[in-house]
Amino acid sequence: MGVRERNESAWLLPNDGTRTNHRLRRDMRQFADSDEIDLVIVGCGAGGSVMLQRLARAGWRVAALDAGPFWDPDTDWVSDEAGSHHLYWTDPRVIAGSDPVPMGSNNSGRGVGGSMVHYAGYTPRFHPSDFATNTVDGVGADWPLSYPELRPYYEQIEQELPVAGERWPWGDPHGYPYRPHPVGGNGEVFLRGAGKLGITAKVGPVAIVNGRFGNRPHCIYRGFCLQGCKVNAKASPLITHVPDALAHGAEVRPEAMVTQIAVDKHTGRALGVHYVTGGRERFQRARMVAVAGYSIETPRLLLNSASSRFPEGLCNDFDQVGRYLMVQGAPQTAGRFDAEVRMYKAPPPEVSTEAFYETDPAKDYKRGFSIQTVSPLPITWAEHVAAQGHWGPALREYMSDYVHWSCLGGLCEFLPRPENRVTLAGEKDSYGLPVARFSYSQCDNDRALARAAQSVMEGILHAAGADEVITIQRYAHLVGGARMAEDEQHGVVDRYGRSFAVPNLYITDGSVLPTQGSANPALTIMAVAARTAHHLAAGLS
Amino acid sequence: MSGGGGRGWDGRFPGFDVLDQAPHWDRVTADVVLARTDTPTAVKFFTEPEEACARALLNLLTGQDGHDGELAVPVLEMVDSRLAAGETDGWRYDDMPEDGQAWRNTLVLLDADARQLSGTAFADAPPADQARLVQAVQDLASGNWHGLPAAHVWSLWTRYACTAFYAHPFAWAEIGFPGPAYPRGYKNTGVGKLEPFEVGDAHPSEDPVREDV
Repeated sequence: MGVRERNESAWLLPNDGTRTNHRLRRDMRQFADSDEIDLVIVGCGAGGSVMLQRLARAGWRVAALDAGPFWDPDTDWVSDEAGSHHLYWTDPRVIAGSDPVPMGSNNSGRGVGGSMVHYAGYTPRFHPSDFATNTVDGVGADWPLSYPELRPYYEQIEQELPVAGERWPWGDPHGYPYRPHPVGGNGEVFLRGAGKLGITAKVGPVAIVNGRFGNRPHCIYRGFCLQGCKVNAKASPLITHVPDALAHGAEVRPEAMVTQIAVDKHTGRALGVHYVTGGRERFQRARMVAVAGYSIETPRLLLNSASSRFPEGLCNDFDQVGRYLMVQGAPQTAGRFDAEVRMYKAPPPEVSTEAFYETDPAKDYKRGFSIQTVSPLPITWAEHVAAQGHWGPALREYMSDYVHWSCLGGLCEFLPRPENRVTLAGEKDSYGLPVARFSYSQCDNDRALARAAQSVMEGILHAAGADEVITIQRYAHLVGGARMAEDEQHGVVDRYGRSFAVPNLYITDGSVLPTQGSANPALTIMAVAARTAHHLAAGLS
Repeated sequence: MSGGGGRGWDGRFPGFDVLDQAPHWDRVTADVVLARTDTPTAVKFFTEPEEACARALLNLLTGQDGHDGELAVPVLEMVDSRLAAGETDGWRYDDMPEDGQAWRNTLVLLDADARQLSGTAFADAPPADQARLVQAVQDLASGNWHGLPAAHVWSLWTRYACTAFYAHPFAWAEIGFPGPAYPRGYKNTGVGKLEPFEVGDAHPSEDPVREDV
């Protein structure tokens, strides 16, 4: 079946230079709170939107509630860094541990489309080894499913986004539906440096239209991928899955903050969700609930849904909720060239290498890292420069050199650890709910990986001709926090995302991932959700 | 590291003015960006003594010393309006108060340090003393400053300062960055390539920091 027959989203967008099909939203089906719908989804990002679209197509009565707005790229998004602050989840959160992880712009989205609205656009697959790191390398965890079981869903989603890139030689080698984009200055530097060192680097894989896809136009190489794509060239569920879902009778209910999942204390089944919209508390009944609030809000919602049956939090009888939360170590190394690189011209995601992804027996650490172009805009670049200790006139001088710098980012597979977790803080948010407290600490293997990635990036930049290199230690992405496992003593959900504790409660976002590899997680989150949706639609559960 | 040095950023992109391209920006973006060049709104969050201290601190951190003819970026007002709106980065360290309170607390502490060193509030201290006081906080690194983790105080100050300063078109002009790019995009990407509206660096081989290495 062709992609348009499976998912018509790109053809449901306008082709007149505007970006939103307002009619589709105006005519959207609206369920009553008292309707017992087939499925209510909490969160309309990567995982939630795929569920919504797949199950609407299967004829289910399904609604997705999202705490944030139903974005219109024309009027809500700007071609500007500071002006994009509203794209991030900035409700209060507390960060702790020996290596606390900043939230907000770094990893947390808000509104329909979720974090994919402001992700860079890289969509690599995980490697087959990621699904069995415990067996293969003695670290991390094995998934209760294997790579071949996920492969068909990877292929589907790559066509639906669609992904552009060179033939991919790493992991399970595969091609992409669209040819690679031409590269800008930063990609050129990366390819040149890697080439001199004999390191294979490839253009892609990015979920950015190269050519035309339905009514989505070609990328204009504007460089503001992380600020929300005003062009509709970069994929996010807002344009890749939500339009088709609406056309098949799904409802998206924006500005609806889910505060609690209700469970019948006699039957132990989920009854629906409490939510707040327009300052009013409401309750949506549903035959089934899917939580897709991502790795901080999903565990927080479960913990905030404690009841007499689940005094420590929903699905938390074995103290698994919120644990094994992962972030990738993301050291960012920049190199200075006399020539002008002007890395802001072109999408930040251009070129990657996964040559260091797998465990190298010659090294004293397990697992690995990937390296990608990152191309920070001025505010993010100022953070990089300020991290070198510069302030005042020294900062201004360094910053005035912006056009001469090329910037690479590592993605290091930091290991899942039980003590890296979300709990509830004493502080409350504007809904009166305890906010999330995320404690994070690195282990020795993590630190060794970050050092190794930095050293490779420095080597590539020097080989390309850089006369100076500077690095900032950062984190990227979130996954885990409600992981899938073989049994309830080791995780929160089974291999299809169904919670062990509540038979009609599913989790369909990045929090179910047991490991993270060195790959940006969006594609895998979507593929896992597509697999769960297929399973449900086929009535196999 | 230090805040000392000359004005090596002056004149690197002769004649380059980001605002020249404003007619080519989409209207929503233009409204947001051009508003930053309007007369700043009245201070709402900071009290008067806090405002004086914060203004001196933020101008120091962003190298704005009132040098002749400089187009000033209203960093104080930009930070104030963020704090008044409760527009945080979406997190706080567990060993720091929430951002607004953290700003108030640290400004009081900075004033106290200034009274001890210079016998005046921070805003009235001689520039060299101001620089010394701020440098002392940075130098504490992982240590404590009046019971607060110095690195987290430094992070708070510099994050808000840099986010405000490098959001401003005057700051973009100084670094050769053309700002908004929709619906125009870029046609000449690649090392050494310029758009017609971009201006090349007049001193490309003068890495301003190479002499320090």
